[in-house]
Amino acid sequence: MNERILLIEDDPELGATVVARLRRAGYVATWWREGRHVTADDVRGVALVILDLMLPGVPGMELLRTLRACSEVPVLVLSARLDTGDKVHALRLGADDYMTKPFWPEELIERVRARLRRPALQRGDVIELGALRLDLAIPEVRVRGELVALTRAELRFLTALARRPGQAVTRASLAERVLDPEREATARALDVHASRLRKKRGDAVSIETVWGIGYRLERAP
Amino acid sequence: MSEPPGHGLRGDDSKHTIEKTGHLAPGDGSLHRTAPPGHGPPGDGAIHMPEPPGHGPPGPPPDARSRGGAPPILFAYASDLRSANPNAPAIDRRLAAAIADADLATLDPLWPGSEVLVLVRAPWDEGPCARILARGTTTPGWFGALLPADPLWLLPVFAVLFGVALAAGPAVRRIQRLAARVRRSAEGGFSEPVALPGDDEIAELSRAFDRAATTVRDQLRENQRREQALREFVANTTHDVMTPLTVLADHLTTLRERAESGGGADLATVAAATAEVQYLGAIIENLGLAAKLDASAPTCARAPVELDALVDRVVSRHQTFARARDVALAGATLETPARTLADVTMLEQALSNLVHNAIRYNAPGGHVAVLLERPAPGRARLRVIDDGPGIPDEAIARLLQRGARSDEARTREPGGQGLGLSIALRVAALHNMTLELGRSEHGGLRVDLTGDELEPRRA
Repeated sequence: MNERILLIEDDPELGATVVARLRRAGYVATWWREGRHVTADDVRGVALVILDLMLPGVPGMELLRTLRACSEVPVLVLSARLDTGDKVHALRLGADDYMTKPFWPEELIERVRARLRRPALQRGDVIELGALRLDLAIPEVRVRGELVALTRAELRFLTALARRPGQAVTRASLAERVLDPEREATARALDVHASRLRKKRGDAVSIETVWGIGYRLERAP
Repeated sequence: MSEPPGHGLRGDDSKHTIEKTGHLAPGDGSLHRTAPPGHGPPGDGAIHMPEPPGHGPPGPPPDARSRGGAPPILFAYASDLRSANPNAPAIDRRLAAAIADADLATLDPLWPGSEVLVLVRAPWDEGPCARILARGTTTPGWFGALLPADPLWLLPVFAVLFGVALAAGPAVRRIQRLAARVRRSAEGGFSEPVALPGDDEIAELSRAFDRAATTVRDQLRENQRREQALREFVANTTHDVMTPLTVLADHLTTLRERAESGGGADLATVAAATAEVQYLGAIIENLGLAAKLDASAPTCARAPVELDALVDRVVSRHQTFARARDVALAGATLETPARTLADVTMLEQALSNLVHNAIRYNAPGGHVAVLLERPAPGRARLRVIDDGPGIPDEAIARLLQRGARSDEARTREPGGQGLGLSIALRVAALHNMTLELGRSEHGGLRVDLTGDELEPRRA
């Protein structure tokens, strides 16, 4: 991991806690305590910028504008404001997301991770998740190189989950993609597929039941 | 009102008669301003209305008069015969006595010189124009050749003036009455009507005043209502914030005491403190939003909102709180992004409130799920379900009814959705979204917030 994160935050206490949290989570954090004129060199190798909008020196919005002019680095905006205008403006200027204060440290880390692991959608024919490898062109599924025999419905089920690893997929969406409406009318059939899949591909990748939603394929560690 | 020249015009008590003065020779054009009524004022401004002190020129210089006719000059006086115009001549004692009980007075013909003075009583007694003195002259001038030698022909001018004054009298009196009524009404907070009977312009004006007064009155009432609401709001807010702060202080004290006595971390206390912090944050955000929604015209900054990102934010925001209460929280978004037109702060707070309530009123070991779905083409639905105690149907109806009114919804009622639900309801209404409460298939509550989806963005 050891991805670099640039934090631009003027509040000394908040800045210190955020930096400590980021380091504990395994990131390399750089901290600017004021708004500066940012150049492409400043953000070279930076995986994510966390930007407070209310800054001394170069204002946050201005900084965001110049940053966007020279770099594609994802930006997570911190805002204490209720003001919708600011959020919309920041997003229009190219911020990727925003987080309003107060926030929990876990929330911050989760949001940082979510931002860094994009794009989440796996669109190609080959999907690799740890020990699991799906080749949809053939189609075949291998766990640690070993071919796993799946029914067509099971393959569709696994594909639907694997395209959005770590995200819960609703039963309705799965039923639409997996079930044959003529043969498997009830959504309960999904549970049967899930249970069989769990048995077949062992502990390589876990298929979790998500209460009230459906299933989720845990991403590889 | 005007009598023909030569007959003499009498005051209403017959004491003061205007007679011929006989100083004007034929061919003498001393007064070249004798336009009949209706001809309007002369182009050269020969009839000078008196100006306020310090403004405008004084009357024509004496040489102009002597050289060949000067126009009649008018001077205004208050009812006590004082004039605001410093150039106004002092009223002769005899004239003053004569006007005391007459509408028009002039000096007797024995007055030497060519000057003619006529004093007219206006139909009103207030103000600086209650008496008008007209000063003419019979000095010869070039125009005089066309005019009769008798200065008595001056009379029609004054008679017309008098007639106009009399005709305007009722109107002026009505205007004064209207002014008095408006003043009185204003003193009483515009509560008294000022309308005058009739169908003339003044009555129309008075009705316009009444309409304006109604608007002013409504504004005043609205301001008073808002001020009252604000006072209650601050009082309630203080209470709402102070209570969880007190609870939080207690939890922190418990933790410190346990730490001092060498006890281990008390997870239950930490969890409770966490919940109170979450509750405080939610209250403050809701109060800020409630203030916005309480404005008579809530400002709603609508822009396309990415609903997937919104769900992610709300779920991640509540994870810590959910873990502290041992409630599993998960969110599901769509494979293709959905957007709607909304005020992102409001919509996010509405969904936050639903999620907050679902966690808060759930039991340890419970579940909450947030789902973004497309129930129909062009529609996007944010659904929050839980397996908590739920709410009986009749209570749901009551909540929806009361929830629309924030004042009743703010209290933490048992089963308590409170201010959060009220705000969600009002945000939904403001965005033309529907908010439905029902029973979830898992036994708890199901809340659906449904609105129009924006056309997918073309890449």
